[in-house]
This record gives sequence, C-alpha cells and structure tokens, in this order.
Amino acid sequence: MKKLAMVVLSLVLLCSMVFAQAAAEANSGKTTIRVLNYIDMSEPNSANEIAQIWDKFSAEHPEIEVIREDLFNEPFHQKVEAYAAQGNLPDVMYAWPSGRSETLHKDGYLYNLKSLLERDGLDKVYSATSMADQAGKVGYVGELPNGLTATSMMFVNTKVLRENGLEMPKTYADLVAMVPVLNAKGIEVVSMDCKDAWVMQSCLFSLITGRFGGADWADRVFAGETDFADEWFVKSLTAVDNLYKDGVINRNTLSIGYGSGRGDFANGKSAFYIDGDWACASFQTDVTTGQALFAPEAQKTDIELINFPAFDGEVIHESNSAVVGTGWAIAADIDADKLEAAWTLVKFLESEYAQTWRLTTGASFPSLTTIDVAKVCEEYNLEPLVAKRSDWYNNIQVATPVIDGVLPAAVFEVINTVLQEIGLGSTTVEKGVADVNAAWHAYIGK
Amino acid sequence: MKGTEVSKKREDRIGQAPKNFLGLSSRGEEVMAYWTFVLPGFLIYLFVMAFPTFFAAFLSLTNYRGGALFGPKSVIWGNIAPERKMKIIGFDYYAQMFHDKYFWLALKNNMWIVFISVFGQIPLGFIMAYLIFRGMIKGKDFFQTVIYLPCVISTVVIGRLWGAFTAPNGALPDLIRLFKPGYVAGNSTHPMIPVLFVILWMYTGTYLIIFLANLQKIDTSVIEAAKIDGATEMQALRYIILPALSGVIVTSAILAISGSLKSFDLIYVMTSGGPAKQTYVLSIFMYDSAFKGAPNYPLANAVSMVMCIISFTMIGITKAVEKKFGGRE
Repeated sequence: MKKLAMVVLSLVLLCSMVFAQAAAEANSGKTTIRVLNYIDMSEPNSANEIAQIWDKFSAEHPEIEVIREDLFNEPFHQKVEAYAAQGNLPDVMYAWPSGRSETLHKDGYLYNLKSLLERDGLDKVYSATSMADQAGKVGYVGELPNGLTATSMMFVNTKVLRENGLEMPKTYADLVAMVPVLNAKGIEVVSMDCKDAWVMQSCLFSLITGRFGGADWADRVFAGETDFADEWFVKSLTAVDNLYKDGVINRNTLSIGYGSGRGDFANGKSAFYIDGDWACASFQTDVTTGQALFAPEAQKTDIELINFPAFDGEVIHESNSAVVGTGWAIAADIDADKLEAAWTLVKFLESEYAQTWRLTTGASFPSLTTIDVAKVCEEYNLEPLVAKRSDWYNNIQVATPVIDGVLPAAVFEVINTVLQEIGLGSTTVEKGVADVNAAWHAYIGK
Repeated sequence: MKGTEVSKKREDRIGQAPKNFLGLSSRGEEVMAYWTFVLPGFLIYLFVMAFPTFFAAFLSLTNYRGGALFGPKSVIWGNIAPERKMKIIGFDYYAQMFHDKYFWLALKNNMWIVFISVFGQIPLGFIMAYLIFRGMIKGKDFFQTVIYLPCVISTVVIGRLWGAFTAPNGALPDLIRLFKPGYVAGNSTHPMIPVLFVILWMYTGTYLIIFLANLQKIDTSVIEAAKIDGATEMQALRYIILPALSGVIVTSAILAISGSLKSFDLIYVMTSGGPAKQTYVLSIFMYDSAFKGAPNYPLANAVSMVMCIISFTMIGITKAVEKKFGGRE
C-alpha cells in the first residue's frame, strides 16, 4: 500500500508541476503568437533575418512572445495544407496572394486585413497594387504584401557573351543562334532549375502565356470568352516545346534542384539563367562570409538583368508576369485577445524598417510608398545589382498574370505536369493542350 | 482425478494463498500482470494503427475537405464555404483514382520496387551472407561493415547525396567527362533506374545481417557431415541451408514487400516523384493528393486503402508460398 501511495503521490507532483508551469505562463502577461515563417534557404543573407527582424521585434515588444517555425519551398506549402487540414493553423503565417495559398483564401482561413488597415490609416501608405483585392474576393486583403513580384527575371552572364563574341539577344531567334556557338564549348544557353514542377510555369511559362494571350487572358478565360484549346495557349505550349527542341534549354534541367543552378550560371556554365526576381538576392554578397556569386565589382560588368527576348508572333512586347507579392496573414479564427498582438507583428514585418532591410538584402522591393529606393541604395551603399534591378522593373512595359496566381490548383497542377512532360518529350503539344483544357472544364463544371 | 476436482483444489489453494500489498491473490496478480503488459500495447495498437486505418477507410468514402470534423469551427467555415460540410458519397474517389493514369504509373513503379526488393535485395543479401558464412572470402568483417553501412545513414542524407551525385550538374557527369570529354547529361528515359539502384544499394545490407545471423545458428557439423557423405556445396545449400532458412526468407520477403509499398522518404528526397511524375509511387501520390496544390483528402485516403489491400494480398501470397514450399528442414 505504501508503494502504491508513493506512485500516486509522484504522479500528483508531476501533474502539479506541469500545470503550475502553464499557469505561470498564463499569468506572465505575455501574449503568445504562433508563427509559420517562410525563409528562403537559397538566399545567402536570409539567415540574418532572425537577428535583424525577429530578435528586434522581441526586443521592441517584450509583451509578445513569438513561437516561430521556419520552412522553405515545398515543405512550407505542404505544412500549411497539413495545418489547415487539422484546423490548427498558426496565428500569423507567411502567405501567397492566391495560387500557392489557394486553400487559405478560398476556404476563409485568413482574417480580412482590410478593416485593420483602414482603421490604422495604413491602406494609403502601401502601394495601390498591393492593396488590390486578392483571390478574386472584393474588399479582401488576406495577406499584407511585400510589394509586387515579377516572376520571370532573365539573368545574363555578360562575361560569357563577351568571351564568345555574342551580343545581347533581342529575339528568340537570337537565342537559337547562340546554341551551336555555346554548346560547342560545353556552355548551355539558358539554364533553369526545373526539378520542382512550379519553376517552369511560374518563372517562364507565365510570361510566355502573357506574350501570346495578352495581359487579360485570365479575365477572358474566367469570363468564358476563351479557353485553353485556343490559339494563344497552343502557341504558348509550342514555344516551350521549341525551347527544348531548339536546345535553348537543355532537357536535363528537369533534374536540377531549385536554386542549385545559380552557381553554374555564375561560373559561366550557362549564358543566361531564368528565375523570379527574388533570385536576385542570391547573387549578392553574403554579409556573414563576404562571399558572393558575383562580387560587387563583377556585378558592374559581368551580369545584367533583361526581359525574355521577343517571340515571333507575340501579341504584346516587353511584358513580364507579375503578381502581388507574398506577405503576412493572420488566421481567421485567431482568439480575440491575440488579434491585436498578431496585427502588431504583421505591421512590424511590413514596416519601413523591415521592408528597407529586405531591400538591402535584395529579398524584395518595398510595397510601402514611403521608402525611396534610390535614396536607400545611396545611403546603404547597396551593391550594383540592386540598382540594376530597380532599372529592370522600369523597363517592364506590361504586367501579365502569373498562372499559379490566377488559376486554381486543380488546373495549374496539370499545367505544371504538362510542362514537364513536354520537357521530357513524353507528350505532344496537342495532348498537353487537351489535358489542360479538360482540367479547366472539369473545374468550372464543379 | 477429474478435471473439475483439480480445478477446485487449485482454487482452494489460491484462496488460501497470502495476499500481496494491493490485497490481490496470486490469481489476481496473474490477471493484473497480464493486463499490465498487454493493455498498453493493445491500446497503442488500437489508437495508433487500427483506428487510423478504419478512419482512413471512412474518410475515403466522404467528401471531407479539411478543417475540423466537428465543432464550432465547422459552423464558422460552413458559413463561408457551405460545401465544406462533410457527407458520405460512396466510392466516387476510388473511381477517380482508378481513372487517373498517374495512379497506375505509381502502382507500376511500386511493383518495380517490390520486384527489386524481393528478387534483388534478398538474393543478393543471401549470397553475400552465404559467402561470408562459408568463409569463401577474406576480410569478412570489412565487407560486412561496408555492405551494412548504408543502413545506418539517414535516408534523407542518402537521397540528397545520390540526387546531387547523379544530377546533370553533379559529380557523376563530371566523372564521365574524364573518360568521354564533351559528355552532356541528358534525361533518362527510365528515371526509376537510379532510384531502384539506390534502393538495392541501401537495403541489401539489412538482409545480409538477417541471413548471416540465421546462418550462424545452423550447426556446421551437419554441413560437414553432408560434405563427408559426398554432398556438393550446391547440394548442401539446396537440402540443408535453404530449408533451414525458409522461415527467414518469408519474413524477409514480408519485410521487403511492406517496406516497398510504403517507400516514400528516399524517393521524395531524390526526385520528389518527378520529372513529370515519372518516379511517382503510391505513397507520394497519396501525399501529393493530400498536401500539394488542391488538397484531396478522400482521394489520398482511397490510395492508402489500396496500399493496405495490396500489402495484405502480397503478404498472404508469400505466406501461402512458404506453406507450400518452405520449412522442409
């Protein structure tokens, strides 16, 4: 009996310790916020975010305790879906304006920030584009965006062009003409990291559909004026097919993991590299090591940023696919007593301080109209690539839709697979068109 | 003495036995000990294995779209998206699955993995174990360690290493260029081959250890006696060693089949099922259905049910084969 009493007593003691800890936390006066953060592992300076952003927030707001989870690329998106499925979303999370965060927007998992922005007079401080309706819902801002993201940036290794006597390409035909010259020396013309299926769709095919379909192709598709069996889409898929058949892009890029081709490009193994504008940061100096894929001096002479050259038959020119940037969101079912703390955090993450820091690292261009990019470049003595990037945005004549930003996942997932199948040469353009159109009609038929 | 009398006398004895500190008789202690040992395992099995399996079967017959199954959250979301309300719709998602070409591709790839596991890893593991056991090679400790080494390395690390090694910008094309200058890595028309090779390389060591441990239990004097009687090495293998190991071979086959059907981590890290889903297996198909793009939980659960059924069927076949041909020691 004595032993039994001992066991029971020990259990009671253990329980009281656990509950005492929880009670102590509850009485500390701190509000605890769970955060799911997206951290770009392919950027050299992304790890500094912890000290520069998160530690600073904790120092400025000791009354708010942040429990943060950092993830990157597909694991991030899959974790979000898993949390949504469990009904266990974090209080604050990084989110996309639509596409990749479709579940969050469509099924009402996110708090509409519009009312909070208006209450605090912030709706006029952020650029008009970043305050646009999201996910097709009128008056809805599910996530507060960093800015506008152009998803197809073409990096040029000008050193490679110079050494091989080549000029900056103006048309697609110019790129094709480079194939024999560069391949003879073991150099690829355009490299991409297409192992992840979204890369080709987001970073090049969205631009191509804009060039052949016009800036309003998505509106016309949703209005039922056109579908994916029409000429504009056939021409777009044919253009991708030609990229592989002409040798402009090697089919083996389908086996290159995201971000791993940037070093090869910097080392002159390809003349061009295509990625989103966010990839710009990966060519700048890592402040912790002082190393850079293009040193600041080399950035002046050896790298340029251009728009993809003109395709024969394109209906608009010098366009680029762009979407409201990624940003921060609050869970719709957040506890009322946590809402203000979460909003304080979101405001900090999109504050002048945080957006300026992200500009200096090259992670994103600001959505706050109060930040003068040229002045920041001068004040912080930013690397030449930042100024080149600013000029590059100015040269974009038309912004066209990003496929996974406007179409539902049930359709863009099929497009992603079709693009990879075309890359492998395992399907035809006609079959690909039929598959995508079938997915679209199945979606609208639901 | 009749059985009832024995039982009565035992009960009397138990009744007279001294009671322990909990006030239980010996019989009571026995019962308590039985439940103390069985209950935790039984409960864990019930809640961690059996319940999720039956629940997955149930979800595969519904239109569940995520979120809380019951409770106030469903009501809140219900106002925004009424179609979220869960209802039983039957076998629609099974039909969708069987009409999906990638399901069949995934199933085919899984069968390749089963094939390479059962007819690659097990025979290879056995041959190497046999060579070591019979002392046909020198440095047996070295070979044993080297062959088993992949089993102690994290699957994610192995997947990353082999993925990077075989990538077009990896070390393998560079090595090939040493012998064939100008070589440019292309895309394999059989993208499962590198995956199958790594699976073979990675898990053969496990079977080597299993077979070696069981070979060492065989009395060598029996083999030596057979040899003296004129049996050849092959005859000793055929009539002494293989029958003695038939149970182990079946166990290994069951492990290989069930392991093959749930293959996920290595392939996910190496290829993510790509390019163009060419290295899809059922578990990745299930995972992508649930957590990638537009989540489709009933479809994912339907896939998991099919995996269970295939697994049980193949294990049943293996057991039947063992019953018919094995165990003639």
